[in-house]
Amino acid sequence: MGTEDPNRAYIPSRPAPSPFAATQGIRPNILNRPIVGPDASAFRPTPPPPQQNTTPFSSSGPAESGSAIKPNMHPASHPITPFSSSGPVSGTETPEFRPSYSARSITPSTNAVPPQSGPPASGPFQRFPSPQFPSTIQAPPPQASPAGQQFFPPQTRPQISTAPTGPPPTINSMPSGANIPNSSVDSSIFAPRPNLQPSFSQMGPSNFVRGTMQSAYQAYPGKQPPVVTQPPPVKSAAFVPHQENYRASPPAGPTPYLSSQGGFGAPPVATSTGPFSREQMRPTGSGPPMGPVQGLIEDFSSLTLGSVPGSFDSGLDPKTLPRPLDGDVKPKSFAEMYPMNSDSRYIRLTTSAIPNSQSLVSRWHLPLGAVVCPLAEAPVGEEVPVVNFASMGIIRCRRCRTYVNPYVTFTDSGRKWKCNICALLNDVPAEYYAPLDATGRRSDLDQRPELSKGSVEFVAPPEYMVRPPMPTLYFFLIDVSVSAVRSGMIQVVAETIKSCLDRLPGSSRTQIGFITYDSTIHFYNIKSSLTQPQMMVVSDLDDIFVPLPDDLLVNLSESRSVVEALVDSLPSMFQDNVNVESAFGPALKAAFMIMSQLGGKLLIFQNTLPSLGVGRLRLRGDDIRVYGTDKEHTIRIPEDPFYKQMAADFTKYQISANVYAFSDKYNDVASLGILAKYTGGQLYYYPSFQSAIHKEKLRHELARDLTRETAWEAVMRIRCGKGVRFTSYHGNFMLRSTDLLALPAVDCDKAYAMQLSLEDTLLTTQTVYFQVALLYTSSNGERRIRVHTMAAPVVAELGEMYRQADTGAIVSLLSRLAIEKSLSYKLEEARNSILLRLVKALREYRNLYAVQHRVGNRMIYPESLRFLPLYALTLCKSTPLRGGYGDVQLDERCAAGYTIMALPVNKLLKLLYPTLVRIDEHLVKALPKTDELKNICKALPLTAESLDAGGLYIFDDGFRFVIWFGKMLSPTIAMNLLGDDFTTDYSRVSLSERDNEMSRKLMRLLQKFRECDPSYYQSCHLVRQGEQPREGFFMLANLVEDQVGGMNGYVDWIQQIHRQIQQNA
Amino acid sequence: MAWDPIFWLIFFVMNIILIALTIYQIVCLSDLEADYLNPYDSSSRINSVVVPEMVVQGVLCALFLLTGNFYMFLLTLPNACYNARLFMKQQHLIDVTEVFRSLDAEKKYRLIKLAFYLVLFVVVLISSLICFIQPINSIE
Repeated sequence: MGTEDPNRAYIPSRPAPSPFAATQGIRPNILNRPIVGPDASAFRPTPPPPQQNTTPFSSSGPAESGSAIKPNMHPASHPITPFSSSGPVSGTETPEFRPSYSARSITPSTNAVPPQSGPPASGPFQRFPSPQFPSTIQAPPPQASPAGQQFFPPQTRPQISTAPTGPPPTINSMPSGANIPNSSVDSSIFAPRPNLQPSFSQMGPSNFVRGTMQSAYQAYPGKQPPVVTQPPPVKSAAFVPHQENYRASPPAGPTPYLSSQGGFGAPPVATSTGPFSREQMRPTGSGPPMGPVQGLIEDFSSLTLGSVPGSFDSGLDPKTLPRPLDGDVKPKSFAEMYPMNSDSRYIRLTTSAIPNSQSLVSRWHLPLGAVVCPLAEAPVGEEVPVVNFASMGIIRCRRCRTYVNPYVTFTDSGRKWKCNICALLNDVPAEYYAPLDATGRRSDLDQRPELSKGSVEFVAPPEYMVRPPMPTLYFFLIDVSVSAVRSGMIQVVAETIKSCLDRLPGSSRTQIGFITYDSTIHFYNIKSSLTQPQMMVVSDLDDIFVPLPDDLLVNLSESRSVVEALVDSLPSMFQDNVNVESAFGPALKAAFMIMSQLGGKLLIFQNTLPSLGVGRLRLRGDDIRVYGTDKEHTIRIPEDPFYKQMAADFTKYQISANVYAFSDKYNDVASLGILAKYTGGQLYYYPSFQSAIHKEKLRHELARDLTRETAWEAVMRIRCGKGVRFTSYHGNFMLRSTDLLALPAVDCDKAYAMQLSLEDTLLTTQTVYFQVALLYTSSNGERRIRVHTMAAPVVAELGEMYRQADTGAIVSLLSRLAIEKSLSYKLEEARNSILLRLVKALREYRNLYAVQHRVGNRMIYPESLRFLPLYALTLCKSTPLRGGYGDVQLDERCAAGYTIMALPVNKLLKLLYPTLVRIDEHLVKALPKTDELKNICKALPLTAESLDAGGLYIFDDGFRFVIWFGKMLSPTIAMNLLGDDFTTDYSRVSLSERDNEMSRKLMRLLQKFRECDPSYYQSCHLVRQGEQPREGFFMLANLVEDQVGGMNGYVDWIQQIHRQIQQNA
Repeated sequence: MAWDPIFWLIFFVMNIILIALTIYQIVCLSDLEADYLNPYDSSSRINSVVVPEMVVQGVLCALFLLTGNFYMFLLTLPNACYNARLFMKQQHLIDVTEVFRSLDAEKKYRLIKLAFYLVLFVVVLISSLICFIQPINSIE
C-alpha cells in the first residue's frame, strides 16, 4: 500500500515557487453564518492548536499549472491554517516544508473572510474572474417528461379484451376424448385458485363437461401444484385407469383437434394448460407397473417429476396460464433431500441436479450456476450460529482449503476426516477429536453446529488478517451545487445522517468524515477538540490535495458534537449557493486520498452532471440516432475510463462506493454507477428528486444503508468439487483473482450470481458439493468467516435437471446475463438472447418427450419452469431492457440495470412480476380479525382486466406502490383516504394518514407491505383511472401481461415461443 | 548496399524487443491466472509495455518501407494497422476491472502475436544472414 500513498505522491513533489501559489486554494473558513457571528472572531484567528505546529502550507503547494493565474485571484486566501501534518500519511516528508509556512498563514484570511463568512461566500474571492458559469452550462436534456411520449396505454385494452372473448373453440369442438381429460385436468388444477374460477364460466358448453370430470377427479384434490409428497400407492393405482382411458384414444386426439382449429381459423398454436397436475398425480416410484400403458403417463411415471404437457389452441384462455401469484416459491423437495444444506436464502442453484457430462450441459440451454446472497437476513431463530475454534484454528482441508462442514466424513475411529470436496484424508486435531459411535457419527455432533448446519460463521484467528480489522468508516461526499440545494436533497441527507449517528454500526470505533463540493472542494476539519467544524476550500482541481492529513476523518464518538454541528449547519451553509458546477472527479480523488488508509464506505450524493476537472462528463443520453446502431450500447457504459480506474483503486483500498444520484436532468448514471458496481456498492437513483415528494424514500433508504449490518473488507470464494468449476461471476464486486470476489462492503441486500461449467467430459462422483466462504470484518471489529455448504446430486438425465430446476435462480442469472449483454450489444439483441435461450430450452425439453408421446400441438414445459416464460417476458419488459429510446430514459434504464445486477432472487422476482391487490373491500369491511397479509390480499394477474372500475388497487413492485383509483370507486372511499383533494389532480396529492378508520387502515396496510421488504422504501403514487399520461406511466405500462408499446402480451408471447419451438423442432 | 547489414541488425534487434515484450505480457497474464500476481499489478505492468510495443512495431514497419523491403513491409503492415485501430478505439489497454473476463482472449491474442513475431524473427534472421554472407561471398 505504501507505494501508492497519495499524499506522499504529490505533496512533496510540489516545488514551492511562490508562497502564494502554495496556499491559494485553501481557506480556513468558518462554517456558517451563525458561527461567524459571535464566536467567529474568537475562533477564526485562533491559530493552530498547539499540536498543529502551524505548518501552513505554502511549500506544499505550488500547483505548477495554476500558480500563474491563481495567485492573482486570491492573494488573500492563504489562511491555511493548521496543518497538523503529523498524520501517518504525509509522514516523513512534511517536515521539509513546514517551516516555510508559518509566517504567512493567517492574516489574509481574517481580512478576507469575515464579510463572506459563510461558505457560500466562497464565491466572491475564491472564484476566478472568468465567468462563474463557464461554458458548460447544461442544457436540459431533451428527454421528454417520462409519461409523455412513451406509452400508449389506450391501445392495450382493446387488444387484450379480444383475447378471452374468442370463445374457447377447442373445448366446444372437442370431438375426441383425448382432450376432455385434459381440460378436466385444467379445471381440477385451477379449482383451488378462486380467482381463476370465473374463467370457466365463460366456456359455455364445455362447462358441464368440466364439471363432471372435475368431480371425477376430486379424488386427487390434494395433489395440487405445491404438494410434492408422493401420493399413496392406492391413489396412483386408481389413477392409472383414468389415464388409460384417456390415452386409449390418442390417435384421435391431435388430428381432429387440429382440424377443428382450422375451422375456427385460428393459428395452430398450442400452449400449455393443464399443466401441472399430471405429474403430481403421478406416483413417483410407479414406473414399472405401468409398462403397458402408453403415452404420457408411462413416461412421466418413469421420471419422478417430469414434463407436463398441456394443450392450447389459439383461443388460448389467458386465465389458465400459469402465474406466480404466490411470489417466489423456493423448491422445497431439494431442501428436504439434503436437510444439511445451507438455506435457499443464502444460495440457490439454477438446477439442483448437476449434469454429469459436457453433452448434457450443452443440452441444458438455460444458465447453469448459482445465486449467492451470503448475508441474507435470517428470520428470528434461524440466525447463523457462530463457532469459535479459538486456539485450535479453523479446521480446513489441507489441500483444497475447504472448511469443515456437515458433509465431511470421519473415519479411523474419529482420528481422520475426509474432505467432501477433494476427498483428501485429513488428521483431526487432538483438541477437535471426538469418538465415533456405532453408526459412524461423532458423539459430539449435536454440540457442533459446523457439523450439522449448512451455514455457520467461524471467528477467524489472526492468520486471516493482513492488517488489524478496520473500524467501520462512513465518508460522505455531498454535492452542494445549486440543484442539490433547490431540490432539498442536502436538507434530507443532513437530517438523516444526524438521526442515524446513534445507530451506525461499529460502536465506539466508527469513523466519519465529510467533503462537499461544487466548483471547489470543501474539506471539514471535525477534530474533537474544536467546538465548531472548520471548513477548508481547495479550488485547485487539476492537482488536488488534502489540506489536512488528519482530522478530516475522525472517530465519531470523540467528535460527536462537532459532527452534529456540521450536519446541522450543512443545509443552511449552502442555502444561497448558486454555483452550478460540479467538480465531482476531483472530489472523488480527494475522498480517496483521505480514505485510502482505512477503507470503508463512501456515500456519494451527486446531483448534477460532473462538469469540472478530471472525470467531467458530457451530455450524451439524448441522441436518438444512436439507438439501433452498433454504437447503441456505448451510451450505457461509462464514457470516461477515469471512473473505472477510480473504482478499481477504491476496491484495492477496501473502499465501497454507494452512489445516490438525484437529478432532473441527464446525470450519466452509466458512468457514476460503475463506481458502485466494482466496489461492491449500490446505486440509488432518484429521478427529479424533490424533497417534498421523495423525502421519505431517501430518508428510509439512506438510513437503511447506514444502519444495516455490513461486512467490511470482505472477500468471497466459492469452492466446488472436482470436475466442476465456476467460470463467470455477475454482480457488484471486483475479481481479485480468477475465483476470488473482492467486496469492500457486503450486506444483506446484495446477491452475486455465478455460472459453472464442467471441467471434465464426465463427472464420476455422485454428489457435487459447493462451499461459499465469505471472509469479512464485522462491524464490531471481529474477523469472521461465513461458510455456506451445499450438496447437489449429479444426474445423467436431462429430465431430472428440469425437474430440479429453480425458476428464481434461473431468472436471476438470465437477467444479469441479459443486462450485461445490453452493455455490449443492442437492447434488441439482449432481448432476443433471452427468447432464444428459452426457446432452445423448451425445444430440448419437447424433444425429450416428442418421440414417445404425441405432443402434437401442445407446448410442453416442465412443472418446475412453468413461470419461466412469463418471467422471461417481464424481463424483456423490465426497465433495463424495455423498448428503445423513447420508452425509458437512459439514466433510469442504467440505474435499473445496476440495481438488478445486485438484487437478491426474491426481490428480483417481485420486481419482475409485481403484486397487484384489490383493497377497497378490505378497507370497507369492519375490522378484520386477522391482520394476516395473506388473508387480505389475493394477488391478481397483471392485466388491465384485473382492474375493476369500482375498485381500489395497490400495485407493489418492491420499489414503489401505485395506488389505482377506479372511476366508479365510491367517492366516500376516495374522500376518506384523500380528504378534500380527492377530485384534484393526483400528481399533486400525497397520501397521508387522515382521521378516519379507512385511512388508518390503508396506512397500516402499506406499512405491512413495507415491512415485508425493508431494503427499499416504496413511495406511493396515486393514479386515477383514465388520468393520462399518469395512468399509462405508472400503471398500464407495468401490467406486464398486456401488450404495451409494441411488446407482446402474455398470450402472444406464449404463442410466439411455441411457434419458434416448432419451427426447428 | 553498405547500409543493409546495419539495417538488418536494427530489424533484428527490434524484432527481439517485440518478442521480449510479448513474452513479458504473456507471463504477466499467466501469473495473473495462477494467482501469483494481482490484477492491479498485472494490468499495470502489461499496460506499461503495450504502447512501447506498438511504437516499436510501427517503427519497424515504417523502416521496412523506407529501406525498400516491400515484402517485409507488407508482412508487418496488417499488424500495424490492427494496432492503430485498437489505439484509435482506445481498446489497446487491459481493463483492470474486467481483466479476468477477457483473460483467455487476451492471452490468445498475445500468443498469436508471439507466433507472428517468431515467424518474422526467422525471416529477419535468414535475410540478415544472407545479407551478411553475400558480401563475404562476393569478396571470395
